[in-house]
Amino acid sequence: MSKTARRLTRILSMVPWVIANQGASVAEVCGRFGYTERDLLEDLNLVFVCGLPGYGPGDLMVAYVENDEVIVDMAEYFSRPLRLTPAEALGLLASGSALVSTSQAPEALERAVAKLATAFGIRPDEAVVVDLAGEPTLVQLLREGVAEARVVTLTYTSLGKGETRRRLVEPWSVFSTLGNWYLSGFCRTAGGERVFRVDRIQEARLTDESFTPPPEPPPPEVRYTPSEDDVRATIGLGERARWVADYYPVDVLSDSGSEMVIEFSAGDASVAARLLLRLGTDGRLIEGPETGAALEDLRGRILARYRDR
Amino acid sequence: MKRVVERLLNLLAFLLTTGRPVSADEIRLTVAGYDQDNDEAFRRMFERDKDLLRTMGIPVELRPTDAWEVEFGYVVPRDEYELPDPGLTDEERAALWLSAQVVRLGGQPSGPDALLKLGGGAMSGAGEPLAADLGESAESLAVVFQAITERRVLGFAYRGRSRRVHPYGLLHQRGHWYLVGAEHGEVRAYRVDRGSHYSVEGPSQAFERPDGFRLRDALPSLPWQAGEEDLEAVVRFDADVAWWARRQLAEPATEQPDGSLEARIHVANPAAFIGWLLAFEDHAEIIGPPELRSQLLELVRGRKR
Repeated sequence: MSKTARRLTRILSMVPWVIANQGASVAEVCGRFGYTERDLLEDLNLVFVCGLPGYGPGDLMVAYVENDEVIVDMAEYFSRPLRLTPAEALGLLASGSALVSTSQAPEALERAVAKLATAFGIRPDEAVVVDLAGEPTLVQLLREGVAEARVVTLTYTSLGKGETRRRLVEPWSVFSTLGNWYLSGFCRTAGGERVFRVDRIQEARLTDESFTPPPEPPPPEVRYTPSEDDVRATIGLGERARWVADYYPVDVLSDSGSEMVIEFSAGDASVAARLLLRLGTDGRLIEGPETGAALEDLRGRILARYRDR
Repeated sequence: MKRVVERLLNLLAFLLTTGRPVSADEIRLTVAGYDQDNDEAFRRMFERDKDLLRTMGIPVELRPTDAWEVEFGYVVPRDEYELPDPGLTDEERAALWLSAQVVRLGGQPSGPDALLKLGGGAMSGAGEPLAADLGESAESLAVVFQAITERRVLGFAYRGRSRRVHPYGLLHQRGHWYLVGAEHGEVRAYRVDRGSHYSVEGPSQAFERPDGFRLRDALPSLPWQAGEEDLEAVVRFDADVAWWARRQLAEPATEQPDGSLEARIHVANPAAFIGWLLAFEDHAEIIGPPELRSQLLELVRGRKR
């Protein structure tokens, strides 16, 4: 929205509230609508010179401050706020329902979502349902680590090598996106900022050691942080495999329509190998010797297992 | 900007109170701020203002000024302009504000403007240590949502065909938005980001949702449960991955003496099931049925999808 539209929206929200709450103090109106005192007075002065054709004393709206009370009158046509746009209403309902679905929401939120839905003529909990990714049990523990700024140890088992690895991580935030829960933080073991998929963590423990969180943690998003040790592979995706580009953080190198070529990077060659195996003839490895070797190894292990019977 | 805002307030006050459509000429002669000498200058000014009001969600409608439909004029119907009062308390408004901060649609916190309309409030404070992103396609979603609330037909393109659907609801699951609706009487789910050219069509209140309809039932919660097939897979998960299998399965599984797990899993979509199972590499094995086993082997051998 443009600055003009923003200002007009605020005026059209403030005026009805003041009409319904005559005599509210300047401080209350400012706090409620995010005004500085100067901006509020400017907007009231502006309202004061507007109204209906004729534009004489009986036609203009009345708006002023007296003894620290805000007064608006003669503005019956602006006595109700402007309707929410569908995008605004959906945004509020969706985030509200999402939080309610985690059962961490205050009761006030449940009531608010129900009232909003009713105002929109829909039954709450029926027209918009948001299920955040089923919350793994570890999420609660990791959230504690974030809240108390305590270092956590994460345990992983690599399937290929069968070895157990531990990481020491300073947890910054736990969030859900693309249908999965993630933990972002500083990995002491890797010496850098990392994002971990929570459902892949076998075990997590809080340690007694605390850390100082960054003053402004990066926004919760799955971003790909390139690292020297990453294994890269160039992969061609057929039409039925194009979802891969939406699902993983990849670079799209070219797209002919029938084939999309991406660069796939991950800390471990087995990630791309599992993906390629799953895609079958819908994906092909164009370049990436390490990934190729991992794919052959994976194929061999699975076939060997099935041959044994 | 001050003069523009004044002009817009005057225009809006006029269009809300006339109770009849007024022509552009009448607006030019009557509303303060529009008396331009030059036709072209007036036209540009008026177009810009109308667009701005519409981006704010104000219904500036064009309607015939008389029964013969010779001339058209503008009006803002009050019942469509005004917000039905949801009657929120300050505490409820604050809760909405917080939830909009921690759960976002398309990466953007929804709402400072929306909350102002709802009566403002203390819009400060950091979110709890929970954050979620409900994904992109916020624009398509808004159109779908409008069709749902107004119970109007939703038109869109999906898998190479154009559709006309009675939209029942929106469901967010496994990171995606699904529209659930009826096309030719058949209820199904469409992934919103896979469709395009969404538009709201026809009159409002065009359909009723069937009695007892439940949105959650329209979509299975695990990917391999969505499909046409009806198989029972028997799968062995090794002891070292048993924790991971147990975490993801809906069905109970039997633990074997060696710590491995045997699970019977209902599969409606074999391809999705095999794709999921491959994440266990060689630490899981389909024991039966034979056709599912050979489908996995063909995929692993690289012969077929």
